[in-house]
Amino acid sequence: MDKRSGAGGKPGDHVNELLSGYLDGELTQQQRQRVGLHIEGCEACAANLKDLQDLHNRIGKAGLGEGSKDIWREKMDDTAVQLSQGIGWLLLIGGMLFVAGIVIVSFIMDPSISVFMKLVISAVYLGFGALFVSVLRQRLIERKSDKYKDVEI
Amino acid sequence: MRNTAMRQELVQLGGGAHALAIQILGNGADAADAVQDAFITALSRPGAYDRRKGPLKPWFLRVVRNRSIDLLRKRRPVEPTDALVDPGGQPEQTLQNQQRDESLQAALAELPSDQRQIIILRDYIDLSYAEIADVLAVAPGTVMSRLHRARMALKKCLESHDG
Repeated sequence: MDKRSGAGGKPGDHVNELLSGYLDGELTQQQRQRVGLHIEGCEACAANLKDLQDLHNRIGKAGLGEGSKDIWREKMDDTAVQLSQGIGWLLLIGGMLFVAGIVIVSFIMDPSISVFMKLVISAVYLGFGALFVSVLRQRLIERKSDKYKDVEI
Repeated sequence: MRNTAMRQELVQLGGGAHALAIQILGNGADAADAVQDAFITALSRPGAYDRRKGPLKPWFLRVVRNRSIDLLRKRRPVEPTDALVDPGGQPEQTLQNQQRDESLQAALAELPSDQRQIIILRDYIDLSYAEIADVLAVAPGTVMSRLHRARMALKKCLESHDG
């Protein structure tokens, strides 16, 4: 019998992908027994299994990512700062919009100011608002396309 | 309290998540951004993760993977890099280990992204097949064959790089 064919197997009938499952402990007991028996009599699969084990160990020990926990702790702290900044901005803008809403409603409803004066004052504020939005929009567009924005001087 | 426990767990996962993101994005800096974005997702919406549905590790790695793929789509085309091993790695590594890692890096770079990812998830991060299926959003029954093909392809590439 061809020694490389494995116990009870046809020539070339190797267990192939089951070797990975065997190595990783992911086979059923029946599959595990079958592979165990096969590699006892198949030099090719036994050698393949050893190569896969060596490969697994080599990758496990390699420096494939930033392993320092301190660096990730720092990143996490940065994240906490970003989050608190985000929440801060949200509260600030939300609060300002609420106050502005109350002021606008009370201004419109105020019977002591004539309609003409209301229109004039509204025009002034709307003008400021339109200019602010225009500048803001321009700055946001520039920021989006500015490839040097992350460069620290 | 829950947030503190999650933070500690996430710090442990940083290195593995970074390795996975490097395999998708091709460089350490972008990969670190992807991991940090995933930290933000995890910490700003702790309700998004439901412990009853499984451990934090595969969930977080799935977030990192999705974020990396998003960054890859948004990114302008860049020169391909073979810097798939983090250059800032381990300063205490011996020269011999560095050379071994470099040839591993070169061999990994020759594989398609999905094969690199499955190898990192199993052999570097040590996920089970069920967790790998969860992270990669593939059928659990296909993990073994995909992983085996990837390992055999890497083995073949390494033979030419190691000489």
